[in-house]
Amino acid sequence: MNARLQKLIADARAAWQAEQASGRVRIRVTLDTSSIARGAEETLARLREAAASRKIDADVGITGSWGFCWLEPCVSVRSAAGTHAVLYGNVTPDRVDELIEAIAAGRDLPSLALGVIEGNATPEIPLLEDHPFMKGQVRRLMANLGRTDPENIDHYLAHGGYEGFGKALEMDAEAIVKEVLDSGLGGRGGGGFPTGRKWDFLRNATASPRYLICNADEGDPGAWVNRILMEGDPHLIIEGMLIAALASHADEGYIYIRYEYPLAFERMKKAVAQAYEKGLLGKDILGTGKNFELIVFLGAGAYVCGEETGLINSIDGYRGMPRIKPPFPAQAGLWNKPTNVNNVESYANAPLILRNGAQWWSSVSDAKEKGTKMFTFSGHVKQAGCIEIPFGPKVRTLLEQYAGGLSGDLPLKGFQPGGPLSGVLPASDIDLTLTLDPYRERGMFLGSGGVVFFDQSACIVDLCLFFLGFCEDESCGRCTTCHGGTQRAVEILRRIAAGGGRDADLDNFEKLIGTLVWSNCLHGQFAMTSIKTSLKTFRDEYVEHIVDKVCRAGVCKGLMPGRWARRAAPQPAAAAAD
Amino acid sequence: MAAEPGLQELRELVAEFQPGRGHVLPALHKVQHTYGWVPRAAIEVIARQLNTTPALIYGAVTFYSDFRTHPPATYEVAWCCGPACRLRGGEAIREAIQDELGIGLDEQTPDHRFGLHVGQCNGTCHEAPQIWVNGRVRGNLTPESARDLIRSLRDGE
Repeated sequence: MNARLQKLIADARAAWQAEQASGRVRIRVTLDTSSIARGAEETLARLREAAASRKIDADVGITGSWGFCWLEPCVSVRSAAGTHAVLYGNVTPDRVDELIEAIAAGRDLPSLALGVIEGNATPEIPLLEDHPFMKGQVRRLMANLGRTDPENIDHYLAHGGYEGFGKALEMDAEAIVKEVLDSGLGGRGGGGFPTGRKWDFLRNATASPRYLICNADEGDPGAWVNRILMEGDPHLIIEGMLIAALASHADEGYIYIRYEYPLAFERMKKAVAQAYEKGLLGKDILGTGKNFELIVFLGAGAYVCGEETGLINSIDGYRGMPRIKPPFPAQAGLWNKPTNVNNVESYANAPLILRNGAQWWSSVSDAKEKGTKMFTFSGHVKQAGCIEIPFGPKVRTLLEQYAGGLSGDLPLKGFQPGGPLSGVLPASDIDLTLTLDPYRERGMFLGSGGVVFFDQSACIVDLCLFFLGFCEDESCGRCTTCHGGTQRAVEILRRIAAGGGRDADLDNFEKLIGTLVWSNCLHGQFAMTSIKTSLKTFRDEYVEHIVDKVCRAGVCKGLMPGRWARRAAPQPAAAAAD
Repeated sequence: MAAEPGLQELRELVAEFQPGRGHVLPALHKVQHTYGWVPRAAIEVIARQLNTTPALIYGAVTFYSDFRTHPPATYEVAWCCGPACRLRGGEAIREAIQDELGIGLDEQTPDHRFGLHVGQCNGTCHEAPQIWVNGRVRGNLTPESARDLIRSLRDGE
């Protein structure tokens, strides 16, 4: 391996080991957008205060998310001897004193403990890996989350970081592409297109300079896997882009982060600055003569910039309106130069493939799609969180095991596999696997990993009104089919919800479905998916709304409430988990 | 309300940005970060700095929902419109806040203390339904607690 990289890794490991052997209690607070929403900043401040005032003798730091988003703030405490470490959940500012007392007394706090993360289980606290939420998970992308400080490049280097890049430095571009192709890595943004082939397109492009773009415009409401990764282990993405740059001879990269993720933007910027400092980015990387510039770019609030050509126009400074293809970005993308766009999770997998080999990487999944996939889940569930699991779990597993079941006492009505364009499915499809094909067969798509569950208190007309309203609001305005079509769909849905449904409405939906598919980009093409899929499986409910003027969920205010209209009060997630 | 910044001040603020380097959004972000909004004069200054037309810059400002063309209120309330919030009663939260403030979405109270706009899901769905007050999540709301929150802000928290 490159001698300079070897030294960086050796130094980082030595520093990490020194930190471990400090003989002090080690406290790590999960500090990300989810935990901050639940008071983690104050929890952290209180712990630091306790350490500064010598109430406890401890080294207090930050780390990424364990995925237990509904139990944030999570805090891990490692004993001074380094033989015993426990993860605690729900350490909100009003309960942090209990933990401080326990640490001062040198004992565990079973009432808040989630599990033992190092050493043996105790009579009161089982191992974390035996926690129902952790069982079946395979943490590769999330391996460092909860363990390392995302703002410290040495922590990443000490845990196998940049080793994949080190291996790639010794391979030629073709061999890197082949390794990624062999792994079977498909695009994680929802398309599933082989990532290696995309890199190969760029490698074979004739013009220069060439650009790499990381699409971190995770706009699907209810999806936050990319945020968890960027806030928890930003260097994984940088290393992935470096490997892609070697594989495709790219000169410059952009990480396009949505405006709603200010912390992810700050962390990525910090990580990129550290990588420059260590000579991992910029000119003559590690003395190899290779160059790669990386720029972190902040979006400004436009869902359609998640479409790759909309994103390119946005970096260019124009309105983020998707372009007409062809030419494809691989021929004429950013500034009309060859460009490759991948999702955050796609890049993040590359270091794992290079470090451990394609076979190791792909062996984890029995499904056609290889490797692990991160999912987040929300809606009427007890536990809204984030998991990483071998590709191909059943939707039922996600709901019952990881999301802890439904939050209310009403039965499941349906779910949305990934984003407002992906469509809705009924409860009877709960045994589908979370792979690409079942959704393609139904004229929808899997999406990027944000699954939303809803029970019978949800009204299908109201849900579609929300999805179509979103699509209308976020339409870029180029195609009349899309901006006009979504407006018509919203009008009809509003009228139905207000009690003015007409017999012709369902036919008009069919016409709109047939029209919007002729839009230029995926936004318009898939805008009607939720209506299209729900018309098949929830048709009775539409008819009830239009003919009987009844809303069975009692959501639509212009209609008579029906059988499920006894809306349970929304349950706070934390209370449900206690 | 703060006076509009002068041209010279704006020119210095965006002097680091160059044409043809994807600097439109970064320049606009810097202006909004400095003043809380994008004044009209800034659009022309940025256009000149980046060797393009004010129409193109204005086009970008109006395309993206996070650029403001007016000064922000003291409390900018973003109401999360995501699916988890909606399923957990987000519409009722919006109605309660609108009623309490007497304004609609994308409006400000006459005293400019409160502004209300739509926020897009930031993946803190475990706190649904929620609003963000100046970027800070206030979650697990009921219509009553949302009203109380607004009242306590109004009375000086």
